[in-house]
Amino acid sequence: MAVLNGGELATLARADWIVLVGYLLAIVAFGLWMGRGNRRVDDFFLAGREMRWWAAGLSVMATQVSAITFVGTTGQAYTKGMSFLAFYFGLPFAMVVLSLTLVPFFYRSGVFTAYQYLERRFDSRTRTLTSVLFLLSRGLGVGVALYAPSLVLSVVLGWSETTTILLMGGTTIAYVAYGGNRSVIWTDVVQMALIWFGILLCVGVAISRLPEGFVLRDALALAQTTGRLETVDLSLDLTRPYTVWSGLIAGMFLAMGYFGCDQSQVQRYLSGRSLTESRLSLLLNAFLKVPMQFLILLTGVLVFVFFHFHAPPLLWNRAELARVERAAPAAELARIRGEFDAAHHERRQAAEAFASARHRGGNVARARDGYLEAGKRVEAVETEARRLAETVTGEPYNDTNYIFPTYIVSQLAGGLAGLVIAVIFAAAMSSLSGEFNSLATASLVDFYRRFVRTEASDAHYLAASRLFTAGWGAFACFVALETGRLGSAIEVVNKFGSYFYGSILGVFGLAVLTPWATARGAFYGLLTGMTAVFLVSQFTGIAFLWYNVVGAVSVFLVGLLITAVAPGDRPAGVR
Amino acid sequence: MKSLPDRHGEDGPVPLFGTWRAIYTAVVVSALVVMALVALFSRWPY
Repeated sequence: MAVLNGGELATLARADWIVLVGYLLAIVAFGLWMGRGNRRVDDFFLAGREMRWWAAGLSVMATQVSAITFVGTTGQAYTKGMSFLAFYFGLPFAMVVLSLTLVPFFYRSGVFTAYQYLERRFDSRTRTLTSVLFLLSRGLGVGVALYAPSLVLSVVLGWSETTTILLMGGTTIAYVAYGGNRSVIWTDVVQMALIWFGILLCVGVAISRLPEGFVLRDALALAQTTGRLETVDLSLDLTRPYTVWSGLIAGMFLAMGYFGCDQSQVQRYLSGRSLTESRLSLLLNAFLKVPMQFLILLTGVLVFVFFHFHAPPLLWNRAELARVERAAPAAELARIRGEFDAAHHERRQAAEAFASARHRGGNVARARDGYLEAGKRVEAVETEARRLAETVTGEPYNDTNYIFPTYIVSQLAGGLAGLVIAVIFAAAMSSLSGEFNSLATASLVDFYRRFVRTEASDAHYLAASRLFTAGWGAFACFVALETGRLGSAIEVVNKFGSYFYGSILGVFGLAVLTPWATARGAFYGLLTGMTAVFLVSQFTGIAFLWYNVVGAVSVFLVGLLITAVAPGDRPAGVR
Repeated sequence: MKSLPDRHGEDGPVPLFGTWRAIYTAVVVSALVVMALVALFSRWPY
């Protein structure tokens, strides 16, 4: 359980390997077993529409929680605190709105995809455009979603990227291509249970590892002193990313766009055995999502306090640290290391003095000031180390995502490291599985069945569905393997989705809220909304969460305007 | 491949909280309570 230096590889103990390999084998076997007996396409895509609300609801949650959410959120709490929680404040209200509006429309119309509904309400080109946008963004995004945790785990565990990508991608493809949505949902249930267990375990371990005489209250006081417990920012500044208002209003629009219009989510709750079950599956998220994110962020804050009393590495990304050790001037690196060790030691003493002053009635204000000063010195040396890394590598350096995995493999023992690595795998696989399945559904239902084979047997479409699933899985692995060479293109892919989530939400809003809106209004409203979001993102400093509001409102207003100016076209039928 | 049948029938009793009005109220109240608790957690004088 030593602290790792650059070039030093973490090794999992035998117990960790047993837990990790056991998880992978068990989840694939379980997925295959639960997915047996698919005879028809609606079995494969909608699990025969027989899922209970709690199973579909946990699957909705699991699809949203990706591995990078898990490791990235803890890292963010470590470096910046818990302000990110505001991002989720609007989600419960969005679940209520969706449950009252879109879910009944989708469920009662018997569609496989959300976009299929748009053809019934508007026209085929609106369906095609929205489905293409989904396939483009999800298809590329799922590759990045696979690459990001694979990269982190490969660095932390010392495995090759190819190994981690193929392990995560391959195992997921195996059971999703065979078992379809039924396998996705039941494995998601198990994975979600494992993720919750892992979160509670991490919180418990972080608390239990606080030094003797240093209680949880002291840890929270330290974190509060640095501003890391701050979650309620009432600022009205639109450029600030996580305020109460951006979380409540823009976050609600984002959640409505994602849960209401993204096929990877819609398909989960359309599997409910009744409309009631589908609605309840979404409402389960309304109850659990914010507490879950709170616990994940709290874990990151506790890890931050933990590393006051245990030496952290100079840089969290050990591969980059090894590069720095090879290429940086030895004297400069030695100086930074010396300053880092001294600053860290000083901060530890200041933290202990702060706790001591609190317990014994000393001068708490002075001890707090001393601690804050010591903390600033640590941050200054860390900044210097990061600058050195950027100078040596010639690339921007950000190691936020490496903090939590490093903590796991360097501090947990007795199979717990293997268990938490399995939780990260579970988080990755649960989102990948839903996305492979939904990409295959949109490909088959929105394109193959309309433009390639309009009439074929269920057996044919079932075989094609499996091929589409495997194909999208292979494509995701390919994108993930190539992503390392794409560099800044990753960012473009990640931002791509935020350009049109709100706009697509606007189209669905037109569909269900304004019975008189025309297909022309919806189609050109959608194009206008995406253009508006692009312009706002390029020429203003408005925080990205607000793009969803801009897109949705633009589409809605322009759609109504076009409807008023050029009325006349009526909704077409749906295949 | 057959299209799925439309399901226009009512969807059965609500298994939790009894009525939809009650469950939506519960969601909204719990969301507000959670936000209040989170704010309290942030500002609590530890």
